[in-house]
Amino acid sequence: MVSGGKFLQAVHFKGVIMTFFFQSLLSGLLTGGVYALAGIGMSVVFGVMNISNFAHGDLMMLGMYMAYFAFTLLHIDPYLSLLLIIPTAFLFGFLIEKVFIHRIIHHPHQNQILLTIGLGLIMSNTALLAFTSDPKILTTSYSSSAVTIFGGISLSVPLLLSFVITCLITGILFLFLSKTTTGLALWATSQNREAAQLMGINVSKMSAIAFGLGTALAATAGALIAPTYYIHPMAGHTFLLKAFTICVLGGLGSVVGAGVGGVIIGVVESMSSTYLSSDWKDVVVFIIFLGVLLFRPQGLFGKKGEQ
Amino acid sequence: MKKMLVSIATAALIALPLLTNAAPVKIGFINSITGKEAQIGENLTNGAAMAVEDLKAKGIQVDLIKEDDGGDPKNALAAYEKLVTRDAVIGVVGPYTSGSANVVASRADQYQVPLLVPAAAKEDITMKGYKNVFRLNAPANIYSSVLMKAVAAYKPKTIAYVYAATDFGVSTVKTAQENALKMGLKEVANEKYQQGQPDYRPSLSKVKAANPDLVFLVSYDADAILLMRQAKEIGLTPKAFLGAGAGYTTAQFAQQTEISNLVVSATQWTDDVNWSGAADFARRYKLKYSKEPSYHAACSYEAVRIMVETASKNNTSAKLRAGLKAGSWNGILGPVKFADYDGFTNQNNHPMLVQQIISGKYETVFPAQFSKKKLVYPFTR
Repeated sequence: MVSGGKFLQAVHFKGVIMTFFFQSLLSGLLTGGVYALAGIGMSVVFGVMNISNFAHGDLMMLGMYMAYFAFTLLHIDPYLSLLLIIPTAFLFGFLIEKVFIHRIIHHPHQNQILLTIGLGLIMSNTALLAFTSDPKILTTSYSSSAVTIFGGISLSVPLLLSFVITCLITGILFLFLSKTTTGLALWATSQNREAAQLMGINVSKMSAIAFGLGTALAATAGALIAPTYYIHPMAGHTFLLKAFTICVLGGLGSVVGAGVGGVIIGVVESMSSTYLSSDWKDVVVFIIFLGVLLFRPQGLFGKKGEQ
Repeated sequence: MKKMLVSIATAALIALPLLTNAAPVKIGFINSITGKEAQIGENLTNGAAMAVEDLKAKGIQVDLIKEDDGGDPKNALAAYEKLVTRDAVIGVVGPYTSGSANVVASRADQYQVPLLVPAAAKEDITMKGYKNVFRLNAPANIYSSVLMKAVAAYKPKTIAYVYAATDFGVSTVKTAQENALKMGLKEVANEKYQQGQPDYRPSLSKVKAANPDLVFLVSYDADAILLMRQAKEIGLTPKAFLGAGAGYTTAQFAQQTEISNLVVSATQWTDDVNWSGAADFARRYKLKYSKEPSYHAACSYEAVRIMVETASKNNTSAKLRAGLKAGSWNGILGPVKFADYDGFTNQNNHPMLVQQIISGKYETVFPAQFSKKKLVYPFTR
């Protein structure tokens, strides 16, 4: 009888530990999905244009504000507002490339970095002037609701929706890149810009499309995270570093790599918060990051010679 | 009769400029008008402006010289030195942040110009024996002690800490741990987090697994909302959520009724406390600035009022110091007296209040003599 009680206790204890583990894993996976989307946008821009876009976080921030105002002023659900945000952001990115970025595409990297940092600063400080530094909170009817699965693991409804949309968008992006003429042209440009130009591909147009796509993906990531985060002019900075780490981890320019990288970072962060301390999660992430750089400098999915 | 009226009127006309020409009281005011703390700084600015208006109505002319420190101790010190040397003020109110106030306090005895700190919580400020440093608000250790006193009657047994990895977060939890020890509370989880992260669920899951009676939280602005949302998501339901200031005392937090209901927090002041003029101050503030006053506004109002009223009767820094030390006041922050006790010097033994959010509104629930409502315990969703 006693041993039976002990056995039940042990089973219960094991159950708690398993719930704990899966709770952490799934929560990391879902958060990682949104990181992945931010990373993919940055990767597309780098792949096609060979530019590290340091305004990427601020473009995400613009996406957050777009979702916020679509919700508060037009009363459109943040997830539905993507239908509005994606084309607007694409156009915005396309124009930025045409007006600013294309002038420095053949310039040294430091010039490109300075330009994108400058653009980012203009965006965040304009937002600061226009929307003040008060954080905005997007509260939907399902903001803090969760579904419980396997008796004890709770999953955030907005995060779950974001994850599904991320998968959908990544799938569509993959189909676009591999099945359409424009997509293939983009892919060709990312593989070899000169050769693509010689084959008759309009590479400057491809650059503008890539930057538009990158911006649309950044804004989408911003809009997807808005219902579970807070909206602030400097909010992009947290995600810029993450997106950059994800890109390098997955292999600069690799869409699949960025997707996997995002999920890895999400899960590692979550696991290290659970089993070490949330103080240590960045340490663990960057140790893994350094490890990858040491042993596989081209990143997990990058090709040799692309580092 | 007509002649008499004319002569009275003439006498009044001659006397009026004499009255208003009485040299205005010159006081400095250091505040975080820009920088990260600007949002709170605005409350202090508004409170001070209302005090100046009220003093003018009483016939006390004030020349309040405002300086911005941007929340930076270096600038605060430069501002204090400018005020006392170039502007020749006889007293200074401010600065807002603990970091700035602590640095300026260390120089006040050197310049011999009294400093009245309105709202900075770091204990050290009035613990070094400075003769020229006075503090109106309660220091940091009271935040946690008053919260725990409020729930002591319900005999909680365990406590978990969730707090931002900042100076404020770490030091507040340190004093909370000391208070918890005195109450015999057992610590079952201790989760320090980096601010601005989107996912706190792993930390909160650990807290949930420890099943504490009390969850003690220290967070800034929006992090508080994020944490409480995720706590609801994962189903963390202790007997009470205790929020130590900052993010848990904002109107924005209270408005999130789905997650903020029944959260308990500590504050220096509320608008429904029964201190003389508190409700009237809140009403006039709302009318003038179309928003709710925070405790910072009330502290700044009272600090400027006390400083200027005392300075109007004492025209040198030395006399002003003696006046502040000897005087006692009763206003929107309750009875005020700068005393030496428990290692503090010139510290107003201000009773902090405990408030609870009930349907989106902050209600004072503790101590009983200042409150109209009773604490709702245990917490339910």
